[in-house]
Amino acid sequence: MKRLRNPFVAESGTYKTSYRKDMKLFRTKSQTIRMAILIVLVLLLPMFTSSYVVGLLTLCAIASIGAIGLNILTGFTGQISIGVGAFLGVGGYTAAIVTTTVGLNFWIALPLAGVMTAIIGGLFGVPSLRLKGLYLAIATLAAQVVILFVITRWTSLTNGTAGMTLKRPTIGEFAFTSNTSYYYLTVVILLLTTLYATNLIRTRTGRAFLAVRDRDVAAQIMGINLFNYKVMAFAISSFFVGISGALLAHYTMIVSPEFYSVSVSIEYLAMILVGGLGSVFGSILGALFITLLPVGLDMLISFLSGYFPNLHQMLSSFKELVFGLVIILFLIFEPGGLAQIWLNVKSYFRLWPFSH
Amino acid sequence: MEKLLEVDDISLQFGGVKALDSVSYHIEKGEIFSLIGPNGAGKTSMLNCISGLYRPSSGSIRFKGKDILNMKPYNRTSLGIARAFQNIALFAEMSVLDNLKLGRHTLMKSGPFSGGFYFGKAAKEEIEHREEIEKVIAFMDLQDIRHTPVGTLPYGLQKRVEVGRALALGPELILLDEPMAGMNNLEKEMMARIILDMHEIQDITVVLIEHDLGVVMNLSDHIAVLDFGKQIGFGTPEEIQRNPEVIKAYIGEEELS
Repeated sequence: MKRLRNPFVAESGTYKTSYRKDMKLFRTKSQTIRMAILIVLVLLLPMFTSSYVVGLLTLCAIASIGAIGLNILTGFTGQISIGVGAFLGVGGYTAAIVTTTVGLNFWIALPLAGVMTAIIGGLFGVPSLRLKGLYLAIATLAAQVVILFVITRWTSLTNGTAGMTLKRPTIGEFAFTSNTSYYYLTVVILLLTTLYATNLIRTRTGRAFLAVRDRDVAAQIMGINLFNYKVMAFAISSFFVGISGALLAHYTMIVSPEFYSVSVSIEYLAMILVGGLGSVFGSILGALFITLLPVGLDMLISFLSGYFPNLHQMLSSFKELVFGLVIILFLIFEPGGLAQIWLNVKSYFRLWPFSH
Repeated sequence: MEKLLEVDDISLQFGGVKALDSVSYHIEKGEIFSLIGPNGAGKTSMLNCISGLYRPSSGSIRFKGKDILNMKPYNRTSLGIARAFQNIALFAEMSVLDNLKLGRHTLMKSGPFSGGFYFGKAAKEEIEHREEIEKVIAFMDLQDIRHTPVGTLPYGLQKRVEVGRALALGPELILLDEPMAGMNNLEKEMMARIILDMHEIQDITVVLIEHDLGVVMNLSDHIAVLDFGKQIGFGTPEEIQRNPEVIKAYIGEEELS
């Protein structure tokens, strides 16, 4: 007889007979199926939506890669960084210089952008051995300022404030010029990033990151070299931020210092705060939320201005207000972020309709 | 008997305070050694010197004949020196299993590349070490809570996980800083049993800091007594019990009428 099963308690009644099975990423069959359905949906999405929406989702996917990168550093290793904006810039400019000035193709430029950002990120991570919390935040803010200063002033390399233009990547004859094709490119890279980050945190290096975050003295006694792991966290994190920056640059086809300001750094911090510190899934949710929030607000305002014609002028700074409000509300009511809300919903339905 | 750890003339100063004042003793391989003394005597400071968190201002510490004073704390772990902290230093958000796995950090090899892609070597390594950790879980009787986040466990269990994490290293020398503090008699008995077992079955040398003198006298082969950073006694439990200085420190001087 086929039993009726609550999809939220899929784990109950499945027993593992080996450690290999117990340590699988998807521990039950239904988890695997659900994930497969989700991936198929994500891949089929462009067929049902307009090019504009696909473009928005591409931006979300690019932001997700950067947010996962930042979460590896801030969420998992506990090292706050306000330099993400500039690191995105390093990725973007590396891609621009490698593809236009040097003339190599995108497929070489993309990993190079990651590696270059990882090196610079690791370098700016060196003070993290001595600096903690707010002090480290200020040190990374210095990274932001220094990198942007170099980008603006090194005109022979970066073309200064005028910026540089890039082309969409190609494979043979095929060019990723349409929104849909670029969407697939970014989604595949996002999937790989997600898989990597999820595996990283459940193996030796990731555990060490968490140990450094939670108790650095005990971590040392476990045999963890704090300095190595902090710099490693900065490098791995920056690698993904760099990849994200390169993807963004090739998507917008332009790089300019103004795209990489401190406010971008704050936006990325907001993504991981709203999404959930120390959660890969949360990083994606946060990136979606923060990227789509202004779009949603715009829609709301244009909808309301049908009824109140003067609203648009009155609410021109409305977006910033809501942006700040959302972060404050999350900090107060759900510090675990969207990821925690999702877990709460799941555990609610696990016992539904009973509350205990 | 072979000397496993030799502490020679160790002094440690914090500003004007002498936390340790030329302390010397040695620990033989395979024994249970206790450090006792009133509060603030410098027992935990002594352990911090052995595990490398403090740097003594003078003296030497030799492990298996090798001077370890210039080694960083994280390098001393791979020598086989494990430690359980007094005020539980577990990673609260991680499960018992992950805490124990962290105890084996130095024995594992996978890095950010093999770990991130989780195939072949890294996966095999995780599984092999899981088997070793399950032995510790069975030894410490933690089977039913292996997936529970440590932060949600009651104090007594956390203490046991803390000792288990040190044990997961498969150490040669284990430093236990008040493993029975705040426990009831039943839990104390269990912990004493665990200490005896790790000593007898696994042949681990134990350094114990403990305030319950009954337990200390029962378990220890040798005892060192500290008082205000000075070592006032070193010997077998019988010798310590007869040592007039120790009696003076613990009970006070007899008033002369």
